[in-house]
Amino acid sequence: MGRETDDIILEMKHISKSFPGVQALEKVAFYCKKGEVKALVGENGAGKSTLMKILAGVYQPDEGEIFLKREKVQFNNPHDAQKVGISIIYQEGSLLPYLNVAENIFLGREPRKRLGFIDSSTLYRKTQELLDELSVEIDLTAPVYDLSLAQRQMIEIAKALSLNAELIIMDEPSAALTTQELDRLFQIIHSLKDHGVTVIYISHRIEEIFHIADRVTVLKDGKVVSTTSIEEMNEEILIRQMVGRDMDGRFPSKGEFEKKKGLSVVGLSCQGVLHDINLELRKGEIVGLAGLVGSGRTELAKAIFGVIRPDKGAIYLNGRKIKIKSPRDAIDNGIGLVTEDRKREGLILGLSVKKNTTLPSLDRLTRMGLVPEKREREMVKKIVQELDIRTPSIDRQVEYLSGGNQQKVSLAKWLITESDVIIFDEPTRGIDVGAKFEIYNLVLNLAGRGKAILMISSELPEILGLSDRILVMREGKMVGELLPQDATEEKIISLATGLDKGS
Amino acid sequence: MAEIGEKRFSLKKIIRARGGKETMAIYSLLITLIIISSLISSDFRTSRNAINILRQAVLLGIVSIGQTLVILTGGLDLSVGSTISLGACLTSGIMLGRDGLILPVSLLVLLVGTAIGMGNGLVITKLKVPPFIATLGMMSIVQGSLLLYTKRAIGWVPTAFLFFADGQIGFVPFPVLFYALLLLAFSIFLKKTTFGRYIYATGGNEEISRLSGIRTRSVILITYTLSGFLAALAGLFLASRLAMGDPRGGEGYELNSIAAVLVGGTSLAGGRGGLAGTLAGVLIMTVVGNILNLMDVPGFWQWIVKGLIIIGAVSVYRKID
Repeated sequence: MGRETDDIILEMKHISKSFPGVQALEKVAFYCKKGEVKALVGENGAGKSTLMKILAGVYQPDEGEIFLKREKVQFNNPHDAQKVGISIIYQEGSLLPYLNVAENIFLGREPRKRLGFIDSSTLYRKTQELLDELSVEIDLTAPVYDLSLAQRQMIEIAKALSLNAELIIMDEPSAALTTQELDRLFQIIHSLKDHGVTVIYISHRIEEIFHIADRVTVLKDGKVVSTTSIEEMNEEILIRQMVGRDMDGRFPSKGEFEKKKGLSVVGLSCQGVLHDINLELRKGEIVGLAGLVGSGRTELAKAIFGVIRPDKGAIYLNGRKIKIKSPRDAIDNGIGLVTEDRKREGLILGLSVKKNTTLPSLDRLTRMGLVPEKREREMVKKIVQELDIRTPSIDRQVEYLSGGNQQKVSLAKWLITESDVIIFDEPTRGIDVGAKFEIYNLVLNLAGRGKAILMISSELPEILGLSDRILVMREGKMVGELLPQDATEEKIISLATGLDKGS
Repeated sequence: MAEIGEKRFSLKKIIRARGGKETMAIYSLLITLIIISSLISSDFRTSRNAINILRQAVLLGIVSIGQTLVILTGGLDLSVGSTISLGACLTSGIMLGRDGLILPVSLLVLLVGTAIGMGNGLVITKLKVPPFIATLGMMSIVQGSLLLYTKRAIGWVPTAFLFFADGQIGFVPFPVLFYALLLLAFSIFLKKTTFGRYIYATGGNEEISRLSGIRTRSVILITYTLSGFLAALAGLFLASRLAMGDPRGGEGYELNSIAAVLVGGTSLAGGRGGLAGTLAGVLIMTVVGNILNLMDVPGFWQWIVKGLIIIGAVSVYRKID
């Protein structure tokens, strides 16, 4: 942990940041040396992105100071950070699809001739020089939508260089890359180092950290656990530092239940996203489904629910083969899906609590085409009371409700439908601790009433605390099944990241 | 505390609910407009003129019902104007004054309009062409076909058919009664039926509606079909009013109906609004035309005033939101 102050390029001291209901960062210290690759790791929600957004000027810290080359700096917006040589490369990218490579790199800073015309020859010459520096070969006139994700990433890096970036932040750059593309990225990172550029590298993939990083900082629950040079670290310690936490008393206890056959999925495949998935969900059972973002968990849920059509495979309900071609078919067969993204896929914000709640079951309740208003109001009032949904009225638009209450409404939809199988996709994302506990209670309660439950979650404590069985997916395949008594966060992460040699 | 509103029909609640505010705003505008017009023109404040305004509002009113449904799903229908013209020309061109043909020709016209609407719906749901482009194309196809059929006013309708546009029941004009009933029926359809609920849901968010088990493509298909049907109905009405068919008679109704719907507070993004607002929008457009006519203001001023009303109304709704 030697720390020679002379080559420190960046130092963040006592950084704290809170959002309503969450302390995202607490007195975090983070520093980088010139020309190193510094890895930043931690679970989802550990505060990595918040810290990097503060560094890039997107958020302002509540407390703390940032020093760049020993000088105190303050960023009020991303432009301030860019001016002093800090660039961030986001997962989703920030290129304009219909402009070409050169136009994107020099967007807003185009070299000009007299009279304000764009000087194309200089534009392409400068772009070529940049790409040569990174030894990247891409057609300068190709529109960005024609390029692969990896190529786009390289263009973003070239753009950062053209802005004279001395510090480049890469937020999960490897998430969508193939192995060859990843090698290429590593070469580029090496060439950046040779040019004296510092790289902050965020990734969930442990093996990459050991491959590319010089030092690693572990964040957990908004605090720094350790900062170590990579030689002094090993995979086991790193994983333990990322996850090892006290779990007592955070989950309600479980009751007994009968186990009858519920939903089975056999050999489900879907080009490029799901490979030969087998799954058994018994009545009254909670099955936790873990895996990294992009491992195919959501796609599996959507395939069962009829949103995406699988190429192969069959689904059985209570031993009977069923055909699911649309969400309507799934609902008619008693399957419900509580979607991951409430705003995009869960609730219609402009409609009332009542109308959202009954949306999937209205078909069944309708008499002669008419909405059974009295019955509808009674049912909704009952479920609103049962779930303690805080709303001034059931006619209130859901957009005015808090995140936790919105989530309860999206659960209420499926409770009222009396689904036998309920799939939860990240049921507690973005809601506060109190509401989380209520959701946990509800999930257990449903299982107690004989529902079969599949719960997708990136919060491992949640998976461990609630599940009767834990499944792990990686790259569209089912890679492991664990019983809660044998499972640990370390084991799950090992399976999910492909480092399962130890277990 | 999960307290739940009890008084279902209290005025306060209606106003407090969103959409309520917009309806209030638009009816205030309508009433203000009527009061001002009555003050400046003695011709305006006659009962004869009032009935005249209602009569004039019927054609725009009928098309605007369909346009409201379509806009609620998040789309729009540009083909209604040419469908009206086609409907009117087919009506007079085939009836040629023969009483016995009133019923079969009316049915035929409605069928043609329904088919046009269904065509729109299929292009949008199956070929995934955005509504603006699908219905723009349909507008052109229908207008072109009509001009192949006739380039000038054509045919005449039997006297009995004139009752549709000119009839009286007691002192109430038949078309006004007809429009009132039609509006009532579609209001019930929108507010009370499951299908009406699905229209709002689909316009509110199509993907979520689909994930909630709604067959959103059928919802969209049926909505455009209804719009085509209602445009043909408006075409029948136009033929009855003019006693003949004019191949350009429906021109402008596509944009006027969209304007009436938007002025009435329905969101172009879909999912919000309704027929109560559209009625006010239709009446405002008609009253403006009427008072400016009575004051001998040249026609192009009407365009300017209507344009200002459209922009003004929608900017007010933005603020209310």
